[in-house]
Amino acid sequence: MSFDPVPSNSHHNLDEQIGQLMQCKPLSEQEVRTLCEKAKEILMDESNVQPVKSPVTICGDIHGQFHDLAELFRIGGKCPDTNYLFMGDYVDRGYYSVETVTLLVALKVRYSQRITILRGNHESRQITQVYGFYDECLRKYGNANVWKTFTDLFDYFPLTALVESEIFCLHGGLSPSIETLDNIRNFDRVQEVPHEGPMCDLLWSDPDDRCGWGISPRGAGYTFGQDISDQFNHTNNLKLIARAHQLVMEGFNWAHDQKVVTIFSAPNYCYRCGNMASILEVDDCKGHTFIQFEPAPRRGEPDVTRRTPDYFL
Amino acid sequence: MDNSGNLTTLSEESEEQPQQSSSPSSTSAFSNISPRPPSQSSSQKYSPLDWTDYFDQEDDICIPDTENVFHVYKAGSEGPVVFCLHGGGYSGLSFALSASKIKDKSQVVAMDLRGHGKSISDNDLDLSIDTLCTDVLAVLSTMYGDSPPAIILIGHSMGGSVAVHVAAKRTLPSLAGLVVVDVVEGTALASLVHMQKILSSRAKHFANVEKAIEWSVKSGSLRNIDSARVSMPATLMYDEPKKCYVHRSCLEETEQYWRGWYEGLSEKFLSSPVPKLLLLAGTDRLDRTLTIGQMQGKFQMVVVRHTGHAIQEDVPDEFATLILNFISRNRIGPHGIEIPGLRKPAK
Repeated sequence: MSFDPVPSNSHHNLDEQIGQLMQCKPLSEQEVRTLCEKAKEILMDESNVQPVKSPVTICGDIHGQFHDLAELFRIGGKCPDTNYLFMGDYVDRGYYSVETVTLLVALKVRYSQRITILRGNHESRQITQVYGFYDECLRKYGNANVWKTFTDLFDYFPLTALVESEIFCLHGGLSPSIETLDNIRNFDRVQEVPHEGPMCDLLWSDPDDRCGWGISPRGAGYTFGQDISDQFNHTNNLKLIARAHQLVMEGFNWAHDQKVVTIFSAPNYCYRCGNMASILEVDDCKGHTFIQFEPAPRRGEPDVTRRTPDYFL
Repeated sequence: MDNSGNLTTLSEESEEQPQQSSSPSSTSAFSNISPRPPSQSSSQKYSPLDWTDYFDQEDDICIPDTENVFHVYKAGSEGPVVFCLHGGGYSGLSFALSASKIKDKSQVVAMDLRGHGKSISDNDLDLSIDTLCTDVLAVLSTMYGDSPPAIILIGHSMGGSVAVHVAAKRTLPSLAGLVVVDVVEGTALASLVHMQKILSSRAKHFANVEKAIEWSVKSGSLRNIDSARVSMPATLMYDEPKKCYVHRSCLEETEQYWRGWYEGLSEKFLSSPVPKLLLLAGTDRLDRTLTIGQMQGKFQMVVVRHTGHAIQEDVPDEFATLILNFISRNRIGPHGIEIPGLRKPAK
């Protein structure tokens, strides 16, 4: 239906690159730079609350687990045959952050109307320097240029999406500084994820069994109770808040009387947690189906054993 | 750092120190080259520093009806109490440099655990987790009686295990925060098999305190010379027959207790209902339980870079900032967590 912004002669290149990425082979530094320039043009026109139509399949954290992302596409359907909405945390912790985020960005450039990629708290300069994406870029490219290119692009990722005006999707959760979706639409998102404030909260907060707002044990964002979710959904005419950010053993978890759902799409997270993953299919009639999946069979993946520290004293 | 008034162990070495008196006054071809700074002799560079530069006072806590006397260092007079538990083989002075930064906004108490520092006990070799926990609770109860202030327990390594176990007993109603420094059950247990070898490969005899301080820095166990100068002396004792300094704690003889420090640590940490902070040196080394806990948002984790195992010693300024931010973010005041307006619906 929509016209792709990229002329067809470059589709050929892009399709080749996507084919290469689907085999878990990274692009060259120059290719990444060109790709991210195109992605920036597309993302900068998207809203802080990006509208999305059904049918769409909503996905949670991936964290560099490339083979599980490939499994996700096998189970959920290829892009663009299936429309996708990813809720952030593409990088860090897993071994293939580079291939994972490059593939998602390439799909975004190729099929901009078919895939939405939101920002997670790991799409940040500071976090990626601690949890692996920075080191992986150095390892795979010999310098930090690709890390810089991607983290600069992350600033343009939309923060939230709204499916058919009724499912509000974001990485973390609500903020005491935000009452309406218009509040979100109005702020300037193109910046590093701040340590506090509404933009930080959207990427860091968690739902909680306790009512009201709480200090998040994570050190950033807040916890919010069912009363807060009810109020927010009522004010904004929403049926559901779909979010990621928390590992849930079954891959999805309802909270707040089915007003909030957590979706986590990295099975056996960190190659050690033993959890299922899931995705949420929202069909034409806005019906919901969760599809759970287990880790993809893999071979030749790096050993998980970690260096024994020289301490105990 | 000013180290005047700190000449206690320098007597024999002082003659070796070159007198850095005269800079050449003759005019030569090299006169426009600024003189090199005087190179410090090893004994100056590694001379001990006194705890009084960092803590305000020390105290001996006699536990009623026992022979146990625990030595504590204190700093600051306002705010909640940051109660510090050192790792195996260290002493309360491991927290000296960070205490001097924390004390402006919070009280700091660092005790010498049994078999360490200046504490005296009926059995210095009983480092079982139960005994260590009992000791800590006895010190807290002797110091504060029935009305303790809000307490943030901080434990490094072995002391981290003690902090977690004390918190898990839930017998400290004023406990308001728990901070564990660079210890994780999975990796600690995995490393135990190497520990006797690591202990036996340590240098054991030191001609003087300076040599021990120098060893602690050059071996890489401490990376901050000033901290080593204040903390290392308390980990030594003079061996009269051998006429040299040796390690004060006999860790080799406590192996039977090591597993008990760490088994079940991750579950216990997560089960404590107070705000929790895990500081790790250099790399994210979470085990399965903590990975799940962290990914469910149950505690705050900070990976501190450019530091060795003793984060509080190697980067004391950063450590102090992390602790103070943890206290203020969680609104821990002198009487506990003070959250006006939170836990209520926004409207």
